Amino acid sequence: MRYPLTVPRTADGALAVTILRWLNAVGEDVRKGEDLVEAKTEKITLYVTVPVDGKLVEILAPAGQKVSVGEVIGYVEG
Amino acid sequence: MEVTILDAYWLDLGYLPYTPAFAIQEQLFKARLAGRLQSLVLLQENPPTFTIGRAGSANGGLAANLLLSPQELAQRGYEVLEVNRGGDVTYHGPGQIIASPLLYLGDIEGSPANCPNANAYLHRLEDVLIEVLARFGLQAGKQAEHPGVWLGDEKIGAVGIAVRHGYTFHGFSLNVNLDLSPFKLINPCGVPQMRVTSMQAKLGAEISLDLVKSHLRQVMAETFGLALQDTTWQTLQSAIPKE
Repeated sequence: MRYPLTVPRTADGALAVTILRWLNAVGEDVRKGEDLVEAKTEKITLYVTVPVDGKLVEILAPAGQKVSVGEVIGYVEG
Repeated sequence: MEVTILDAYWLDLGYLPYTPAFAIQEQLFKARLAGRLQSLVLLQENPPTFTIGRAGSANGGLAANLLLSPQELAQRGYEVLEVNRGGDVTYHGPGQIIASPLLYLGDIEGSPANCPNANAYLHRLEDVLIEVLARFGLQAGKQAEHPGVWLGDEKIGAVGIAVRHGYTFHGFSLNVNLDLSPFKLINPCGVPQMRVTSMQAKLGAEISLDLVKSHLRQVMAETFGLALQDTTWQTLQSAIPKE
């Protein structure tokens, strides 16, 4: 099953969230609870964590892309 | 309104270089994430150091808002470090209080556990600084475009946090008796010609750091409903179960 990765609601109210880096590449195994994406608002660094043990299968928002809260930025298959 | 009281430690590391101080913060944060440590407010004062947050290192590389190269800054006795808080480049040094609340956003009053809001928390940190400054007769405020705490167009307090699984680290800094001249070597927070100030510059006298910390402690307790208890790094090291 494919699980979406979304920009956490902890960033609610932020005008702009930018993806800083993906800590794993597509095809790599990932573990539930680990950090997978580092993102930032102007003064806040945020981490998107892996929802389930599995494999990162798709990145929709690469590093540098601006995204909004709740937006799907990639998929993990687990 | 009913106020939930949250037990929390008050840990003042004193004067310590940024790197070992941050290593301590990381160990404490890991213990928080693992459920082995209650809430905590960490304080430190650093030797002269420039830190570059994620906004800075992402914008055209390390040195984009340093006006001298890292090598030249090192020759002048400054440490230059990339760190994982939000924000761009800033200066830390003797006479500046740095506070890092290690809180869980879901614990904070007014933050529904299912939707903890990091932005609201960031603004409450600014409110804490504004209240502390008011106790010294300084009327500080916020600027919509530039986070932090300001006296007119001069910045006196900076905020920059990181959030992982709803748990916070990093925090804010307050210029008490800080030497302001090193700010001329950077574009503070990535803004050219940004003006900075200190409590000493505004009040015309050196201010007791301990006095400021004691007000900060009271205001943090009131703002976040914390029952603060003093502790030391040695005590916590022995109390935190090993992984």
